[in-house]
Amino acid sequence: MKARRAEAVAAYAFLTPFLALLAVFFVYAAGRAAYLSFTDYDLFSWPPNFVGFGNYSDLLQDTVFLTALRNTVLFSLVVTATQTAGALVMASVLNSKIRGISFFRASYYIPAIASSVVITLIFMWLFQRRGTVNFILGQVAAHLPHILLLVVLAALLQGAQVAWERARGLPAGWFDPALLVVSLLMALAGTVLADFLGLIRAAAAANVDISWFQTSRAVPDGFPFWLQAPLPLVTIMMMNVFTTIPTFMLMYLAALQDVPRSQYEAASLDGANPFQQLRWITVPAVQPVTFLVVTLSLIGTLKVFDQVAILGDAAPFRSRVTLAYYVYDRMFPGGQAPEVGFAAASAMFLALLTLLVVLLQRRFLRAEGA
Amino acid sequence: MKKASVLAMALCLIGIGIAQTNIRIMGYGGQDPAIVQRLLDDVIGDRLAAEGITVSYEPLEGDYNAALFNALSAGTAADIFYLPGETAPAIVATGKVLALDGHIDVSPFIASLMDVYTFDGRVYGVPKDFNTLALVYNTDLFDEAGVEYPDEDDTWADFADKLRGVSALEDGVYGACFPTTYDRFGAFAFASGWQPPGVVEQPDFTDSAMNEAVDWYTGLIREGAAVTPADVGQGWTGGCLATEEVGVAIEGAWIVGFLRNDAPNLRYGATFLPLGPSGERGNFIYSVAYAVNSDSPNRDAALLVLEALTSPEAQQWVLEEGLAIPSRSELADNPFFDQDTPEARANRTVFQGAEQGNVYGFQFGTLGTDFMNPINDALSAIVTDGAEIDQALGQAQRNLQALQERAR
Repeated sequence: MKARRAEAVAAYAFLTPFLALLAVFFVYAAGRAAYLSFTDYDLFSWPPNFVGFGNYSDLLQDTVFLTALRNTVLFSLVVTATQTAGALVMASVLNSKIRGISFFRASYYIPAIASSVVITLIFMWLFQRRGTVNFILGQVAAHLPHILLLVVLAALLQGAQVAWERARGLPAGWFDPALLVVSLLMALAGTVLADFLGLIRAAAAANVDISWFQTSRAVPDGFPFWLQAPLPLVTIMMMNVFTTIPTFMLMYLAALQDVPRSQYEAASLDGANPFQQLRWITVPAVQPVTFLVVTLSLIGTLKVFDQVAILGDAAPFRSRVTLAYYVYDRMFPGGQAPEVGFAAASAMFLALLTLLVVLLQRRFLRAEGA
Repeated sequence: MKKASVLAMALCLIGIGIAQTNIRIMGYGGQDPAIVQRLLDDVIGDRLAAEGITVSYEPLEGDYNAALFNALSAGTAADIFYLPGETAPAIVATGKVLALDGHIDVSPFIASLMDVYTFDGRVYGVPKDFNTLALVYNTDLFDEAGVEYPDEDDTWADFADKLRGVSALEDGVYGACFPTTYDRFGAFAFASGWQPPGVVEQPDFTDSAMNEAVDWYTGLIREGAAVTPADVGQGWTGGCLATEEVGVAIEGAWIVGFLRNDAPNLRYGATFLPLGPSGERGNFIYSVAYAVNSDSPNRDAALLVLEALTSPEAQQWVLEEGLAIPSRSELADNPFFDQDTPEARANRTVFQGAEQGNVYGFQFGTLGTDFMNPINDALSAIVTDGAEIDQALGQAQRNLQALQERAR
């Protein structure tokens, strides 16, 4: 009994530094923010006036706040969906036993190592009006005939080869890798030949002139306000997916180590193609990790801030503002007295929204496998 | 007898030791810490040391206004701090800035500059220097294109033709760098007769003078005679000039030091902004003042330091180092301005720009720099999204009114 109490005391003693930090920087700070959100505090007049739910009702009437809300929700949904799916697919691919797999695993992880500041700056270069991305898009547009011919030829050749194999009684899948390589090579040769004979011709280098950042355009065109993402935000989405996929891929990769190979072997003996294997073996097996990944991703994307801040004046304010950035902007508005009460109210809103989203997610995606 | 004098000396030394006061200054980061340090070492440090005052400079890196508001609220702000003209109304409104009337003689300073720091008839800051905008042009590009340099008699139409001439030179070269932001565009709006907040009660983005300026400015970008900094991968027009992608940048004297370091081989000239439809040119006055913290425990020493920092000797040094344009009117006839170097010419243009045509302070009343957001959005919508000018300006006016209502 005495020993157990001593143990408990020791445990609390070790926990104290952490608990103290938590109490000061989280519990106290959050409590104070909650209090300030009901006042008109401006950093200078203390004590502030109590304004009840005034800040909250003002929030819902502020068009910039509503834009920030729309941007954040769209950002969170699109990025979470894309990177969860992308991470799973990448992990499945990198889980195969081929030569040099560790090289691929390492190189696919590299984007996650660079700091988000650096990546944002690099993306701003790539997505310049006369930058690499527009150049590549221009090349693709110019060579569209070649690309189309290549795809069509490859599909036809693949179809012909598979049909021939099956006619000989051999079991060949539609995506049989060996046949696919042959089809692609032959299609490539065909395309080069067609170009050489002048049957197809590259269009004059199309000048793709998309302004990715300095624009108030929202896509898709003609959609209602709540379903339209501003173009600069779409660029940030791509950037975020690119940098976060590797981390989640690593989690999936760890989970996949526990899935017995024999299940895949049995499935492929039964004639299941890779997509069916992914859908019916991999996805259910990694369900707990999916829950973790989706939760982390939702929380991470709802509070996106750094990329938006670094983008700065390169994009119009409304086309990049997210809730977390909105909080900061109201706390330190350009050359006005800080609107602390208002900023605190929007911060509380963001906290509640995050909680709500995660609770909803728990409702639909259980942590334990089915 | 001897003993008495030794004792007196010892007492004196102790007295100096006790009277030693440290005055803290909060200001921008970047190159400012080095400049203030050299100013102290070379010019005013000895004088202050004789008074028993030492000075330490604390740069606030990043968002200066955010950091300053925090420091003022927390009571950790320095005895003296930078008071930027564009945010002065809000900072003074906190009540933490000492009114300088009766403490400091402000008559030697340029009157239009003092207006920026005068609220309800009381003075809250002494401008340390100021800047206006000038056209800074790459003479090689103009020579190569066989186009005359911009000059002070140019109208908008003349200037536009010269830009077209330069941009015809080759693909990827543009006449000028025009950002889609009010902090440069505004000078052109003033040239067509538009008036900013502070001058008129309610600024109107939808009036015809604004429309005309927007049409001319954005038209040049859309036809390719000018380019936005973002479209050539730069953050400001000085960056465009340094990479020799444009013929003309629109900047203040701060570009001089930048070009010296980043484009030492660039040959350039400087002249006034072109004459607008009103027959006048327009310009902004940008400035930063020194202000004294009203909570400072060392008020008298702080006022002495403030005087030393803005003394004729200090300003002469700042000017000769090519750092900024001094705020004392007596320095207008300084021989430094008459040297025949590009740097001196640029400085002279910036100095004289303050008295040429429709010149207004870079200040927006209590709305602060948020005032610029609606018009910036409109400019960018017109340039990159092809929005109609009337519609975009109408939207800007509605957004401005929403901002004003929220600020009450």
